[in-house]
Amino acid sequence: MHDSFLTFANKRYLWVAIVLLLGCLVAYIWHDPSPHPNGGTWLGYTLGTIGAVLIYWLTSLGLRKRAYSSNLGSLGGWLSAHVYLGTALLLVALLHSGFQFSWNVHTLAFVLMTLVILSGFVGVFTYLRYPALMTRNRENASRQSMLEEISSLDQQSLQLADGIDARLHAIVARSIDNTRFGGGVRGMLRTNDASEQALRQVREALEKREKAGQSAEPRTQEMPTMYAMVDFLAAKATDVQAETMRKLLDALSRKKSLATRVSRDIQLQSLMELWLYVHVPLTFALLAALTAHIIVVFFYW
Amino acid sequence: MRWFVRRITRKGKGNVGYQDFAFDGDTLTIGRGADQVVALTDIRSALAHAELTALGSGKVRVESKVITGVKIDGRAERNAIVKRGAVIELGGVRVKLLDAPKGFDAAVEVSPLESVESRVASQALDKTLADTWLSKRRPAWFLFLVVALLFLLLPMFAHFVPQTRPVIDIIPLTSRMTWQSGELARAHHTFGDRCETCHEKPFQPVRDEACGACHGAIPAHADPAKFNLPALGNTRCAHCHRDHNGPDQLIDAQQALCSDCHRDMQASSKGATKLVDAEDFGTAHPPLKVNLPGWNDEGRFTPSRVELKPGLREASGLKFPHELHLRTKGLSGPEGSRVLDCGSCHVAEPGGGRMRPVDFETMCQSCHRLDFDLLAPDRQVPHARIPEILAMLDEYYAGRALAGGYEDARAPIFVQQRRRPGQALTAAQTIEARAWAGNRASEIGESLFTGRACNVCHTVTRSEGAAQDRWIVDPVRVSGVWFAKALFPHSGHSTMQCGECHAAAASKTSTDLLIPGIDNCRQCHGGEAAIKRVESTCITCHRFHDSPYQLMGDLQRAARESKPAVPEKKS
Repeated sequence: MHDSFLTFANKRYLWVAIVLLLGCLVAYIWHDPSPHPNGGTWLGYTLGTIGAVLIYWLTSLGLRKRAYSSNLGSLGGWLSAHVYLGTALLLVALLHSGFQFSWNVHTLAFVLMTLVILSGFVGVFTYLRYPALMTRNRENASRQSMLEEISSLDQQSLQLADGIDARLHAIVARSIDNTRFGGGVRGMLRTNDASEQALRQVREALEKREKAGQSAEPRTQEMPTMYAMVDFLAAKATDVQAETMRKLLDALSRKKSLATRVSRDIQLQSLMELWLYVHVPLTFALLAALTAHIIVVFFYW
Repeated sequence: MRWFVRRITRKGKGNVGYQDFAFDGDTLTIGRGADQVVALTDIRSALAHAELTALGSGKVRVESKVITGVKIDGRAERNAIVKRGAVIELGGVRVKLLDAPKGFDAAVEVSPLESVESRVASQALDKTLADTWLSKRRPAWFLFLVVALLFLLLPMFAHFVPQTRPVIDIIPLTSRMTWQSGELARAHHTFGDRCETCHEKPFQPVRDEACGACHGAIPAHADPAKFNLPALGNTRCAHCHRDHNGPDQLIDAQQALCSDCHRDMQASSKGATKLVDAEDFGTAHPPLKVNLPGWNDEGRFTPSRVELKPGLREASGLKFPHELHLRTKGLSGPEGSRVLDCGSCHVAEPGGGRMRPVDFETMCQSCHRLDFDLLAPDRQVPHARIPEILAMLDEYYAGRALAGGYEDARAPIFVQQRRRPGQALTAAQTIEARAWAGNRASEIGESLFTGRACNVCHTVTRSEGAAQDRWIVDPVRVSGVWFAKALFPHSGHSTMQCGECHAAAASKTSTDLLIPGIDNCRQCHGGEAAIKRVESTCITCHRFHDSPYQLMGDLQRAARESKPAVPEKKS
């Protein structure tokens, strides 16, 4: 059975985190310093040390995942520990501070840490949800193979369209040109491609031909030239041309289905990666704030 | 116009060949049609895809014959004028404008776009976010540097280069104020941004000398000569006084700070103390001790510290039944009936700490008049000053005897008679008058001291000594400070009625000790962890810095120099 990072080694790191938290909580409740719990008591220093070591270690996941030859445990184990201990860190830091907050560099470190952890939660959510969605969306094909299939369908469509009419060729060529997967951050996060349009127009042309005499539905303002061409085609197409158009329609439909899937694939992958673009920069801000926090505390001891 | 056209062809693996030809005409047509100058084979190109028109001086107009347009330097255009070096992509080929060789007006190079694989790749422009402008590394380092600069480097710079503080410290983000873990104690706000007042050197805990610069004259805790307690001298100020915990939190009131020594005093003082262990006011505190009034053989007031228990009597020397004076129906005096209450005699000192001494002249004398002669009812002797009383009586009666007109049947006749001014007594009369005056003063004195005045409130004994010492009035003094080792402010208890702690209304004699014991306090006060009582720690009533022997600064200095501190008894 597949072992996710949450269930790694029978949730070993969940238990490590729970034991750590319980230990900190019991010490915190038992300690009860005056005037109120804070980072300057012996327990405060202890919790602070635990927290700082945790943060530096959690950050080192970025190094560990690049160190392919590392033999410091599996990356899955590291990720599992990263998630559970990172969550535990939130409480460790709260207890370290004694729930004291103010407008200072110390609270800044806490706020950054909280943001990093919350963005990490988003990451956990996407890692749990999106791989399954991606697998389902791809239906066991790789993205590369889908793209190659699209490419060959494009060739096929162009040849079919060329066999009908130069203007239909232009429509299809334009649709191919407009088919873009990803492209920019916004493009990746949305699913859209132009094949839908070409498909609709060709299908419309066919329907028009079959129901000759009936007036078409009211048109939208967009691309009157295209509609004019389609009208022309629908009116003049011969049976052979109509047959070829059906083949073209089939090719375009298959392409459309593939293109949607590729777009969705890119979208899912982008969504799965997006949180890291918050998580990582904030982590570095946190490293600076944490280092400042530690130095400052002892600078003006 | 004469065009130079070079067609690049790919042959097998990486081999490139080319074909050059010249074309005479203004417009170079490109497309899949057979009539095109540059004929293409790629199915993606239209029959007539684009036209290039040479405009001279290296400029070329590009016109797209398809609606989609052609890509010129990456941008889709339908009609544009370009210069040499421009790259036009259309229908599977790349057309590059070259420098026209000699004899030509324009030149293009037509090469096929890459294979199917790269076409596939170019369709998916950016496959992952890493291909876009989004970056993790750049914002990461940017944020790292910004945070480090604003919150660490600039404030630190302000610390080392004070001249920069007027600039760096007024910007809230870069000010060293962002280093403060909490607000300073109220009194320390005066330091402002002079952090080095306490934090003298970086990475060095605040030294006691820094505190001592202002607070050196604060008393120490106990006599280190008597109590060899290194903890007394070695204790850092910051052990109990931690700043940056808010405006009112500089004094750590935690009772454990006291009880870690006071829970086992015999051991911690190596038998040197008489103090009883105390830990928690609610559960582990010895009975209160009071200062009972007392006088030594020389007559000096030397109160004795006695454990407060039921039946303990006090001997202030005064006869004063509280019950009589607090009668609700009032007391009849020379000025009519008057109802007294506690406040008639017991007035708190300014500041509300202790009670002012009871004052005879203002509080008692309106009823307890010190007049001595019915013939002079407004004349009163002074209170408490015996020689003055005796002198006053002597002078008064001598004067009356010599002046005459003292209408008392028992006096010599010439004392009773009024005399004209200038009319002198004879020598014999003078002697007799003086003798009468002396006897009369003595008689009145006897009556005052032992009869109707002094003796009412004081214990007066007769002495066989000289006239000055004929009567001895026992000294009177209430304790003044009943709890010598604790602070009890009446001002903090102003919501209480006096009678709730002091059973004065029922006290018939002044030997009743009206000071309540610890049980009375515990009705409202509990220890540090009390829930249904006022949480009271050691320093609610006691002070740490209350040694009469030594100053904290001296003690710490002695401890630092690891020499035994020599106590100097303060006068």
